[in-house]
Amino acid sequence: METDYQDADSDMDCSDNDNECFDVYDYYNVVDDNDMEQIDPSQTDPEHFAYDCLTEVEVEQLLNESVASLSNSLQITPSLAKVLLHGHCWSVPNIVMKYRENASNLLISSKIKPPVTPTPIPCSRYETCPVCVTQHMSEKFYNLSCAHMFCKDCWIMHFEVQINQGISTAISCMAKDCEVLAPEDFVLKHLIKPNLREKYQQFTFQDHVKSHPQLRFCPGPNCQVVIRSNEAKAKRAVCSQCKTAFCFKCGMDYHAPTDCQIIKKWLTKCADDSETANYISAHTKDCPKCNICIEKNGGCNHMQCYHCKHDFCWMCLGDWKSHGSEYYECSRYKENPNIAHESVHAQAREALKKYLHYYERWENHSKSLKLEAETLDKLRLKINQKVMANLGTWIDWQYLFVAANLLAKCRYTLQYTYPYAYFMEPGPRKELFEYQQAQLEAEIENLSWKIERAETTDRGELENQMDIAEKRRTTLLKDFLDV
Amino acid sequence: MAATRRLQKELGDIRNSGLKSFRDIHVDEANILTWQGLIVPDNPPYNKGAFKIEINFPAEYPFKPPKISFKTKIYHPNIDEKGQVCLPIISAENWKPATKTDQVIQALVALVNEPEPEHPLRADLAEEYLKDRKKFSKNAEEYTKKHSEKRPAD
Repeated sequence: METDYQDADSDMDCSDNDNECFDVYDYYNVVDDNDMEQIDPSQTDPEHFAYDCLTEVEVEQLLNESVASLSNSLQITPSLAKVLLHGHCWSVPNIVMKYRENASNLLISSKIKPPVTPTPIPCSRYETCPVCVTQHMSEKFYNLSCAHMFCKDCWIMHFEVQINQGISTAISCMAKDCEVLAPEDFVLKHLIKPNLREKYQQFTFQDHVKSHPQLRFCPGPNCQVVIRSNEAKAKRAVCSQCKTAFCFKCGMDYHAPTDCQIIKKWLTKCADDSETANYISAHTKDCPKCNICIEKNGGCNHMQCYHCKHDFCWMCLGDWKSHGSEYYECSRYKENPNIAHESVHAQAREALKKYLHYYERWENHSKSLKLEAETLDKLRLKINQKVMANLGTWIDWQYLFVAANLLAKCRYTLQYTYPYAYFMEPGPRKELFEYQQAQLEAEIENLSWKIERAETTDRGELENQMDIAEKRRTTLLKDFLDV
Repeated sequence: MAATRRLQKELGDIRNSGLKSFRDIHVDEANILTWQGLIVPDNPPYNKGAFKIEINFPAEYPFKPPKISFKTKIYHPNIDEKGQVCLPIISAENWKPATKTDQVIQALVALVNEPEPEHPLRADLAEEYLKDRKKFSKNAEEYTKKHSEKRPAD
């Protein structure tokens, strides 16, 4: 466990070199006094995830170790071991156990042997191949364990056509209704063309990685890296090569606290309803007090009208004063308690209203995240100006970047709390969730406001705000991230 | 070409076997990759007529499956308005090079006789078939009488 953690940590440290990309882990974990006891991060950090980034060669080695181990313990060829492993999630002990229980059943269900033992076919000097209906010398015939005989040329053609369709580990016998699979050595014995052999081996490699519960291809474009982890959980993995961050379980963008099925349902819904949602994607709203048109050009949802200086919330257009202080309710959707008694039309309208409430907030935080990337550029400019004007050194101002990175991380989690809340059943747990969500949202907006308006190198207040926001985030994840 | 040799053999076998449910097989001398024929179903409501089909074999036959399309309009949950039919035995995933065309035709005739509303190409007809069989049979029979080909005399 200890070594795993260190591996993972070194992977996460990869962003250390670009100096604008501080990781919050470093920010909080670099403690000056080394006397502090090492705490197991899997206990304290609900998002902790131990994984390695492997090259193709390393993956081959890993797979071959399993193949060698299985072929040794069962005394079978490596090719058959691969068929068994591919069909059984690469679990050697599981296969060995099943083999000891009933070897014949295992081989039949793995499509290595036919369900009925074939009767040997009498050998004559010439045979007619049922596929090309041509007579050949019987030496030219080959068969799998099912004893269906076909000529060498037909096998070769069969393999070529299958491989060109992207099929490799699933190539089976040519006989009607026969499911026996062609193992690797049988295919490679007949395949001569080097480009086809290469294609075949590439496809089997991909199939094997996909069937291996500990392995995932990095979803980054043209990235060859394979991520390995002992726990196939919905946690964030970051590719060491292309820096793509994704959910290890489903390969989509990381989506805590929402789980893989819910986020898929949500994204499908958003895609289906894209037209409905389009009208709210506008960048402008009117100031609720003076009605002047305001464009949102920063990430923070605490707006101040440039005209009348009215403070309001971009999401609900309510007065910000009632927002920030005691009870923040903007994130919560208030369902009509009598909805079951309303007409079908009213129910449909209510359903749409509910969806739009969540969608609007989801979409808004996603936009805020993008706008905050621009804020980072503005911060850089501002810091340059400050330094030139002798207001602190460049190092004095670095805390702002750290704060901006923490803000992005918090807002990312906040964005993914909305699909979670949308699909939650009403009840005390949802109330707790929405309470924590509201708390997180309020602190994030405070942090965003403070970062955009930081004018001094006095970092105390901002750091306090960062600490609160990150605490709210981890509290919510600890209570609701269920992986 | 492997396809030609195999198709000539299959065509000869089918013609000799005298299938009752698949007749009037026309194959252009110059192009053995396209067959036309008449499906003659036994079960009502389709036993009031016959249906022209076309079988198209790819150049890679028998390593790739043939395609079948109906040239006669038919009121059937598994055959759409364009004459496309969903037949598992000739889908790319299930295809076996050793499967013979007469087996494919038998599977097709069986599907025409016994519709499979569980995986329909025409959802509206599948629903009618499941919910109101009487109405379906009446519609299908009328449709068959109006659009189908004449059945061979014997």
